[in-house]
Amino acid sequence: MSRKSADAIIIGGGIIGAAIGYYLAKRGLKVFVLERKFPCAGSTGRCIGGIRAQFTHDLTIRVMLKSIKMFQELDEELETDVEWYAGGYLFLAFDESKASSFKQAIEIQRRYGLKVDFISPDDCCQVVPGLNREGLLGGAWCPTDGQANPFKVTYGYLEGVKRFRGQVFVGAEVKKINLAGTRVVSVETVNGDEFSAPVVVNAAGPWACEIGKLVGIDIPVKPDRHEALVTEAVERCLEPMLVDYRPDGCYFVQHYGTGHFIGCYTPVPIVPGDRVDASDEFITEMPRRMVRLLPKLASVKVIRQWAGSYEMSPDGNPICGKTSVEGFYVAAGMSGHGFMFGPALGDLMAELITTGKSSIDLSEFRLDRQWTKAEAMK
Amino acid sequence: MKSKKKLAKAGSKKASGVKIVCRCEEVTEDEVRAVIRKGYHSLEEIKRILRTGMGHCGGRGCLKVIARLVEEETGVPIAHQKFPGSRPPLKPIPLGQLGSYENEQKER
Repeated sequence: MSRKSADAIIIGGGIIGAAIGYYLAKRGLKVFVLERKFPCAGSTGRCIGGIRAQFTHDLTIRVMLKSIKMFQELDEELETDVEWYAGGYLFLAFDESKASSFKQAIEIQRRYGLKVDFISPDDCCQVVPGLNREGLLGGAWCPTDGQANPFKVTYGYLEGVKRFRGQVFVGAEVKKINLAGTRVVSVETVNGDEFSAPVVVNAAGPWACEIGKLVGIDIPVKPDRHEALVTEAVERCLEPMLVDYRPDGCYFVQHYGTGHFIGCYTPVPIVPGDRVDASDEFITEMPRRMVRLLPKLASVKVIRQWAGSYEMSPDGNPICGKTSVEGFYVAAGMSGHGFMFGPALGDLMAELITTGKSSIDLSEFRLDRQWTKAEAMK
Repeated sequence: MKSKKKLAKAGSKKASGVKIVCRCEEVTEDEVRAVIRKGYHSLEEIKRILRTGMGHCGGRGCLKVIARLVEEETGVPIAHQKFPGSRPPLKPIPLGQLGSYENEQKER
């Protein structure tokens, strides 16, 4: 049992907590990151590492353009190889309605300067040699999207927190948050430790709702289960993240640094809850979908399967900013995109916390918004 | 089917006589000790930093050796350390073979 004080406490040692912690510490604040299990134990360490600006919500596109710029320079920032690689993202359209929704999205994305095109099936096969083009009408192609290693990035940020005299506590599950009037003052963990700070950030991902309850705030984040698999490392033969949005589609990428293929799909209907066990259905269904799309993968061996949680907000967009409790901030509900949002939202949240406003206005992501502007490229 | 870069990396380590504790991901004893000394004392953290246990064998080859290194470095006995859960499949299986398998669960 101990009592310690800092300038800011971050609840959650995933990408969002690590990045906010880092950019706060870099701005001179003394930061504590409290992680219930170990860094990357939640959604971040279970994601497949894709990074893209191809979204439909204006603010998301702007945040991701900033994030991609930051990923490009993250090796120097974090003094480690985060395995960023701009292999692009190719969203495939197998019916007219998908094709036209991609074309509409491209119009929005281009307004912000994104280099993105709707390309023909022939061009899709140029980007992805060996692609099964049966039924393919074309694809939304952005060569500046990419991938990075979620472990390298998150642990890199946490090492950075320590460099800037902050501390990371593992096995530090928060059980109580103390207020003085309407202002947050301290956080207590199950180990009996008490950490005090005038700023507390809820970056608990799939469990952000439970943390919110500790201060009487409703944070509408619900986890749903996504399964994933990884194959052995093979010679490089796929550049972009390949996204097949059909109900029985999937998305996968070849990891640039190692050559592993890594991928997952969104089950129809969704599977609510934070269960992370692996299913027989996935380990047979996912390979079928991958081989259908890229037949040359048939001989590549699967080495591991697992599951993780998408932490969904009602409209599929992040929940970021102040709350009705003074000093208590939220950054959650990343809806499957927390890793790619990490650098930008980390920096913008740190800016918001230290100066009262951020250089990209995040108010469209505030907690008390109407949940009407849903993200179409989830 | 390892990439040429990986094979070259493995070859260079072998030539220099260093001890490899994780053969799948070619991680050396020195690399593991360095990470433990940085303050990462759990097998779960070491796995995420060095990929030990993420290769073909799923940790069957390396985790006990690494647990012993953790014990040596930190004094925490192997019996008190938490081992990462094992993840299917136990053996690598080709995508084509898995994809052609009829799922019995779905029929139920």
